[in-house]
Amino acid sequence: MQLKVKKEASDEIPTSSMADIAFLLIIYFMITTTFAATRGLDWALPQDDEDTPEVEKEEAVLIEILPSGELLVDQDPMETEDIMDYLLPKLERNPKKPVIIQPDPEAPYGKMVEVFDELRQGEEDEGVKINISIPTRREIEMFWY
Amino acid sequence: MRLKAQQQSKAVIPTASMADIAFLLIIFFMLTFQIEVDRTQVTLPQTMIRLEVPKKSALISVDPKGQIRVSSGEEMSVPVPSEEDVLSFAAGIVQTDPSKTFVIKADKETPYRIVDGIIDALKQAKVRDVYLLSQQETVDNS
Repeated sequence: MQLKVKKEASDEIPTSSMADIAFLLIIYFMITTTFAATRGLDWALPQDDEDTPEVEKEEAVLIEILPSGELLVDQDPMETEDIMDYLLPKLERNPKKPVIIQPDPEAPYGKMVEVFDELRQGEEDEGVKINISIPTRREIEMFWY
Repeated sequence: MRLKAQQQSKAVIPTASMADIAFLLIIFFMLTFQIEVDRTQVTLPQTMIRLEVPKKSALISVDPKGQIRVSSGEEMSVPVPSEEDVLSFAAGIVQTDPSKTFVIKADKETPYRIVDGIIDALKQAKVRDVYLLSQQETVDNS
C-alpha cells in the first residue's frame, strides 16, 4: 500500500486578508465621521457675580435690526460695513461706550450674527475692547420699561 | 558569444504594506471621529471670526421651521416643544457641569425671537459660554 506524502504545513501567517479587514474599518469610519461645522462665534454671557455695569440706553450706541434685515444705528439707516467707521470716533472719546444690539423679534438671526461678527472683527482690527451687549426681550422689558 | 539567459520577473503586486497604509488611515479616522449628535439641515450664518467649539459641548439646534432640538453633546438630539424646556434642560446640565459650553446651531433665516428665547433661557440657567455655529465667510459673498 502506498502512503500519501504528507504536505508540509506553511508556517506563515496569512496576511492577505488583513488589508480587506482594514479597508472595511476605514469605510465604517469614513461614513460615520462628519467634518461638520465645528466652529463658531463665541459669546461669553454676562454673569451675575461679575460686576457688569448696567447699560443705560441713553448713553449707548443702539443698533436696531429691523424685520427686513436693515439696520438703524442711533435711529439712522446704515450698512453693516459702516458701523465701525461710525463707532470708532465715539470709542476714542469714551472707550467704555456700550454698544447695544437690539434685533426685532422678526429679524433674521443671521443678521444679528453678522452685526456681532462685524463688531468682533472691529475689536480685533483696531485693538479696542467694545462693550457689546445683546439684551433679550425679557431683560429689555425688565430694565427699560 | 554566449548570452546570459534573461531572468523572468514575476508579475506580483506587493501587497504586504497595504495593511499598514490602511491602518494608518484607520488611525486618522479614529482620531477625527466625532459622533454627529444632530442631523438638522440648516444654512448657517457666515462669520469671519470662527473659533473651535470645545468637544462635547451641549447643542441646541433650530431648524428653519422653528423646531428646537437639544442634545447634551453625548447622545442624539431630541426635539423639545418650547423655549421653557430649553431652560430646564440647560439648568440640569449646568448643575452637573457649571463650565459646560453651549452651541447654538440655527438657520440664518430663523426669526430672532426664537433665538432670543433660547439665549434668555441660557442666561437664566447661568450658562457662561455660548458658541454660535457659523460657516466661513468668503471674500466673494461677504
